[in-house]
Amino acid sequence: MSSGGEATAPRGKPGGWLTLRRRNALLPLALVVPGLLWLVIFYAIPIVSQLWISLQTGNPDDGFAQSWNWAVYPDSISEYSEQLLRSLQYAGTATVACFIIGFPLAYFMAFKAGRWRNLFLLLVVLPFFTSLIVRTVAWQTILTDDSWIVGALKTVGLIPPDGRLLATSFAVIAGITYNFLPFMVLPLYASLERMDRTLVEAATDLYASRWTAFRKITLPLAGPGIFAGVLLTFIPAIGDYINAQLLGTSQQYMIGNVIQSQYLVVREYPTAAALSFIMMVVVLAIIAAAARLIGTKRLSEAAVA
Amino acid sequence: MPDESLDHFFDRLVSGEPISRRSVLRKMAASGIVVGGASAFLAACGGVEGTSSDKEKADTSNVNHPKAPIGTLVFSNWPLYIDSKVIPGWEKANDAKMRYIEDYNDNEEFYAKVRQELEQGQGIGRDLVAPTDWMAARWIDQGYAIPIDKKNVPNAKNLLPSLQHPPFDKNRDFTLPWQSGITGVGYDPKKTGRKLSSINDLFDPAFKGRISMFSEWRDSAGLVMLGQGVDPSTATKAQCSAAIEKINEENEKGQIRRFTGNDYTKDLAAGNLWACVAWSGDLVQLKADNPSLEFLVPDEGGMTWSDNMLIPQGAKTPYGAETFMNYVYDPEAAGVIAEYVNYFCPVAGVQELVAKRNPELAANQLIFPDKATLDNLYAYPSLSAADERELTAQMQKVTGA
Repeated sequence: MSSGGEATAPRGKPGGWLTLRRRNALLPLALVVPGLLWLVIFYAIPIVSQLWISLQTGNPDDGFAQSWNWAVYPDSISEYSEQLLRSLQYAGTATVACFIIGFPLAYFMAFKAGRWRNLFLLLVVLPFFTSLIVRTVAWQTILTDDSWIVGALKTVGLIPPDGRLLATSFAVIAGITYNFLPFMVLPLYASLERMDRTLVEAATDLYASRWTAFRKITLPLAGPGIFAGVLLTFIPAIGDYINAQLLGTSQQYMIGNVIQSQYLVVREYPTAAALSFIMMVVVLAIIAAAARLIGTKRLSEAAVA
Repeated sequence: MPDESLDHFFDRLVSGEPISRRSVLRKMAASGIVVGGASAFLAACGGVEGTSSDKEKADTSNVNHPKAPIGTLVFSNWPLYIDSKVIPGWEKANDAKMRYIEDYNDNEEFYAKVRQELEQGQGIGRDLVAPTDWMAARWIDQGYAIPIDKKNVPNAKNLLPSLQHPPFDKNRDFTLPWQSGITGVGYDPKKTGRKLSSINDLFDPAFKGRISMFSEWRDSAGLVMLGQGVDPSTATKAQCSAAIEKINEENEKGQIRRFTGNDYTKDLAAGNLWACVAWSGDLVQLKADNPSLEFLVPDEGGMTWSDNMLIPQGAKTPYGAETFMNYVYDPEAAGVIAEYVNYFCPVAGVQELVAKRNPELAANQLIFPDKATLDNLYAYPSLSAADERELTAQMQKVTGA
């Protein structure tokens, strides 16, 4: 550290171009540049590029030309409304399921796990060490028609004798829930763990029942974590196509599957670009609404926690 | 204009494929990293615009690729499609190196990956690719294929007669088959409870939710047409479309469990599928671990296709590619590949060679089909590019995307 200080000191001496004052003014800018470049290259340019391509018409063999064909938007929405709605529905269901599974788990880790806490945290994060695709393919194997799970469920009568788990909506939603659970658990855990437990004690001292204390103290304080968890789960889940492709059938395909096939198989680039653009707008709208609802500061606080 | 999409460029950067310094600078300019000008930026956005002007078949008269040092030959082929033992043999004989990449996973996806470079008239960093017949037709028609200098491939005379004059390349000026295969029905008699014989057995209500088809329409609709008594090789667009509609009906009834690519093999081996549209070579390999599985060339007939060696535009060493074609058309090398790959071998004279080492394999109808089998196989329909696109879109609708 000290050698760095010495190296910069001469340049900061009075009379040089980079005066101390100038340097102090430029430093924040310099710190922002890498992030800004990242945003421009990987977000702004792709968005503009998607919009530009989506308005072209033509065909892949003779080429596409710009024709400002705005009709592509209503057309592709009505054409693929089924998959769009299904994406929202699956992502929504999976997010609720993640919350139902994730909240008790996060609560347990934050308040009850004691010295095992770090072990549980590790277990939650552990699946990330394997690729999403590998994990999902593993589920294919676990849920095969001849597996003991399916056999057991048939014996109990939960699925009909000729029924199956793989290649159903249930498998796809379960896959999404499994794959995105850590995104829900970690923000919940972070906000619960930071909570001042003495507030709950104070509430019970003041004759609040445990349930009232939970409802009036714990839940509101976990609010930002809940919001962050819901967003972090819901947003990537809408765009997911791996689970539908590997665990579902054509009746379970989501909008991500459509975009992939429009881009790579049908080569209908404008439709693919329009659908991608619509997805980006939907996601931005959700984030904006969430920011409105609970404020940007709390949102980002919870997200980085 | 950028010569390839940015994401593909980063793709290559990450996968360690060769990228020249100049192309890096050009790419950076195109994406506005070096030159922040609006024109470069818009050029980067307009990457999908095609150039229809250069859409012309390459001239096949007077092809001359003189002998020259080869350096490194780059071959993009399908996965598990070679016995790598043959590569060192060629390398030694020609004092050259080969970079053999197994990144040709899907015809449309590979085409989508390299399309922009091709449209800009650039090379794709490969000297040989392995498109299936219908995709090879697209490359040839768009002028993306370099004709073969037949003087460098004397062994091409060993090509099976039935494969010498395909409709998309009448005199094999641009392509030589790498391997050929049969599309038929793969099934497990233990699950179906009976021997199958017809394509229409796939639609037996007893197998509801236990059969699959390919999401790519040519094989699936081709078989369905055979079941309807239509010859797929001369089918019209309307006939193809009707077959896809039939698939749609069965799908809506819940008869079809999934539409797949090569991944049907996993479901079939696991018992999730009882019967499905399948490729012959896969079944030969699957049978090794699952002896109960059967491959059926239906009574009505099966589809046949080849994956073709083709020299893409901008190849560094067409001569090198031709020496390799020549090498694998020597029955000795072709036999080594056939024994490993288990698709059917397009090279004459291999069967006799293999019979000495491995009589059982040489008798396998799926690898060395006899005339009766060959006569019952049909080629893909040849339709206009626009018709093919419409059928592709129709099939994608059926498969849910």
